[in-house]
Amino acid sequence: MQTTVQRKTSSKNRLNPGGRYWIWYILPALLMYCLFMAYPMLDSVRLSLYEGTTGARTFVGFANYVRLFTDPEVSARFWGAFRNTWVFFAYHMLVQNVLGMLFAVVLTNRTMKGRQFYQTVVFIPCTIAVMVTGYLFKLILNPQFAGPTLRSVGLGFLVKPWLGSEKTALNVISLVSVWQWVGIPTMMFVAGLQGISEDLLEAADIAGANSWQTFWYIKYPLLLPVVGMIAILTFVSNFNAFDIIYAMATPDGAPNYSTDLIGSLFYRYGVAGKHPIGIPEPGVGAAISTAVFFMLLAGVVPTLRATQGKE
Amino acid sequence: MSTRKNERKDASLKILNMHIPSHILMIFWVFIALFPVYLLIINSFKQRMAIYSNPFGLPGVWTLDNYIYVVQGGNFFQYFFNSITVVVVSLATILLLGSLAGYALAHWRTRLSRGIYFFFILGMMLPIKIATIRLLELMKIFDLFNTLWSLFFVYIAMGLPTAVFILTEFIHGLPRDLYEAAYIDGAPRSKIYYGIVLPLIKPALATVGIYNLVPIWNDLWFPLIFITQEDKKTVLLAVTRLQGQYSTDWPRVFALLTLSALPVILLYLSMSKQFVTGLTAGAVKG
Amino acid sequence: MRKLTALLLAVLMMAGLLPALTQAETVKLTMGSWRSDDAEKVQALLDKYKELTGVEIAFQPTVSDQYNATLRLQLDNGTGPDLYYSRSYAVGQELFDAGFSMDCTDIPGVKENFPESALDAWQTPDGKVFAVPFAAVSQVIYYNKTLFAENGLEVPTTFEELIAVSKAFKEKGIEPFANGIASNWDILECVYLGMLPNYVGGADQRALYESGEKKMNDEAFLKSLQDFAELAQYLPEGFESLTNSDGPAMLGLGRSAMFIDGSWTCGTFADYGVEWGAIAFPAPEGAAPAMCFHPDMGITGNNATKYPEEVKAFLTWLATPEGAQTTSTYLPQGFFPMIDAPITFADPAVTEILALNDGKVLDARFVWAKLLNMYTPMVEQLNALTKGETTPEAVAEVFAAEQAKIVGQ
Repeated sequence: MQTTVQRKTSSKNRLNPGGRYWIWYILPALLMYCLFMAYPMLDSVRLSLYEGTTGARTFVGFANYVRLFTDPEVSARFWGAFRNTWVFFAYHMLVQNVLGMLFAVVLTNRTMKGRQFYQTVVFIPCTIAVMVTGYLFKLILNPQFAGPTLRSVGLGFLVKPWLGSEKTALNVISLVSVWQWVGIPTMMFVAGLQGISEDLLEAADIAGANSWQTFWYIKYPLLLPVVGMIAILTFVSNFNAFDIIYAMATPDGAPNYSTDLIGSLFYRYGVAGKHPIGIPEPGVGAAISTAVFFMLLAGVVPTLRATQGKE
Repeated sequence: MSTRKNERKDASLKILNMHIPSHILMIFWVFIALFPVYLLIINSFKQRMAIYSNPFGLPGVWTLDNYIYVVQGGNFFQYFFNSITVVVVSLATILLLGSLAGYALAHWRTRLSRGIYFFFILGMMLPIKIATIRLLELMKIFDLFNTLWSLFFVYIAMGLPTAVFILTEFIHGLPRDLYEAAYIDGAPRSKIYYGIVLPLIKPALATVGIYNLVPIWNDLWFPLIFITQEDKKTVLLAVTRLQGQYSTDWPRVFALLTLSALPVILLYLSMSKQFVTGLTAGAVKG
Repeated sequence: MRKLTALLLAVLMMAGLLPALTQAETVKLTMGSWRSDDAEKVQALLDKYKELTGVEIAFQPTVSDQYNATLRLQLDNGTGPDLYYSRSYAVGQELFDAGFSMDCTDIPGVKENFPESALDAWQTPDGKVFAVPFAAVSQVIYYNKTLFAENGLEVPTTFEELIAVSKAFKEKGIEPFANGIASNWDILECVYLGMLPNYVGGADQRALYESGEKKMNDEAFLKSLQDFAELAQYLPEGFESLTNSDGPAMLGLGRSAMFIDGSWTCGTFADYGVEWGAIAFPAPEGAAPAMCFHPDMGITGNNATKYPEEVKAFLTWLATPEGAQTTSTYLPQGFFPMIDAPITFADPAVTEILALNDGKVLDARFVWAKLLNMYTPMVEQLNALTKGETTPEAVAEVFAAEQAKIVGQ
């Protein structure tokens, strides 16, 4: 791994040893990633060109994609799930990440007491298994079982079949997901804010800036790479989200597909099949993932360019 | 003189002002965050059907039956040990490999390295479940069924894209003068990596660690597919044992999860300590 | 450095944990299933089998609704269990057609000891049997005896009486039913398909629909939908959010008088200490009473097993009257063996439910045999009907249209 450095060579060489040196640092990660992730996934993309399950696979070219976008039933599901996932994402960006930043600003205030306690509490919901969160909130939202308790405290107007109504189910589930994961952006923003140089903040303080101005003109611009990173991670994980739908609704996206996300759509086609048949169509599932992959790419690349690598 | 005094007064007023709303906000959130957790814990002490007759109140009859069942019936400690092993080994490896790669990619800025970086990021965007069939085959070829190794490899591969993503950017953002001086002085890069860079990126390492901690601990799919042997199962897999076709024994599930949340929270606390100190500040001056 | 050391330590730990792989002596089989609920009972059954024959079988159920997919993955990969539960009709047949399930036609006792209706569920069109019938379930209506007695109401015997009783309960502020539509499958599998045989008849009538001779918008179907719509008016408050697992709780706590469900739930009421009873879904006045008795579980062997002899021996044992009697002691409550021999149950409640079959036309769930593609459209239409978003006539037309697609007309 060590290059032979001769005394004669200028320091420039030491500072920029070039690819032949660096590749060794990257190789272990690259190997692991290629073997256990890249290769299986690319191979699965290849599966999208086939129909049927094992033993009876036939090559069908792009037929799965055509079906995905033109077959009335399948494409209705696909675009429905697509639309729902954007709603889901909107809740996470606008509520979860904003709350995360708000909490982080509070938590990085050095003179405030109890920060470690608050920070841990903010994180605790993340540690609960999604299946259990789903069940607990279903209980809280259940008109028959929670109803009497709510009515007894005068909150009777809240007794509604929230999860059973097409208009409210997705919103409620999105909020539950926000509740659960707000600890993650909080943690990342805290890490980001910690990295802001003390000098800058002191200078701002001396110049007479109040906390709002300090935030808007100094902290926020310096946090932009973190904001971009969190946006990308949220975006990607929302488009793969499935567990919360499984836990709070059904894999079908009941009621009436209003809570169907790309993740649950993929589950139905690529993993477990529809109830009660339960036989998946891996070709279509792979087609869904590949199509979504390109859509994600279209969102991630510009965001990366816009927010990263700024000195 | 007087301006100084005024400044200090302003400063202390500022401090007072900033905190009360902050505390109100945080306490409000504490209630929202902990109410379901409270439900989780009290319902683990109830008998199976009492959840429905009294979902929100304290148990009429406190019972330890659920905890006893969880600890005695089956290989609870074995599952626990397996889950912890899987999480710790996977996280350690992700952090090690990811930071090495991130370090290299942050410094080696050529087209090829950008391509490699991009190649890693692509991994974030596809759900790894579509790779299940090939992964099963790989595990068969390497004869890793019913071993924890199968889980290590999959989770490490799963965690590397986000690790490389976050760490590369973070290292790239570090002010170079912090360690370039050491290079010029003749220290070998690997020593610089261990001695200077690694401590500097502790917050980012902790971030990556915590980000991957929960998905790995709570993962159900891969243990389900790769492991059928009792003594290699993970805690979450044990939870599925309690999930029936038509009904689930929720108090037992709650008991199991209350117990298994403890190591996760401990791991989180140990990693989040890295956030408390701001390291770069002092280093630049010094 | 520290991290590398940690990694090394972990590796060493792992090495210490790798189990000894030398166990070639005792024959150990594995059995896959979707019933984690029955783990203790079935393992006890298998232990009993071990006492009798010395062959050890380990019960390894998985997550219920991922069973089909997980099993498929394991079979594809060559890591499937030696024995596994087979779903009935088309779903189970698929595995046989793909070459995974054993051909059970020649297992002694299979063709002789089971009635045609049971074998039908696990038989290919050309007569090959791909699993040994294991258990069936029936669709019933549970009722809270105490609530009926307290309110002076008689248990209904016709559909009209059922509606009258529901009305009476509602007026007294008690929910007539505990059913909801949040578990998508409940409204179809338990409620609608439970009542359908009363309107449509048995297997021979079903065959006419499957061939397209009879249309699904005919009088019988229309009446069934109209009655369903009438019934739906008595669903509880907030039914859009209620799932199948809320039902037993509501009945048990006395919040609802009845609960339309399947026989598999009968064991859960004991936890509530409630006096419960079960009736078949009452038919309209003058119609022949029928019952949905659905073959649910079969057991079959893995063609790729290393122990075909032992596997076949177990399947043979299942098909004998003695084997079936032993099995029935360990079957979960509400699952009935299908063997053509008298079986006695320890639990009188279970016997009572099975006795509901007497004197009735029996059939499996209507769509299971050949019309599974009707499942999703039916669920959607029924959900809309309960919410009042459509009419029985419109639903019948949709049914006929979907049927035409499947039958190919």
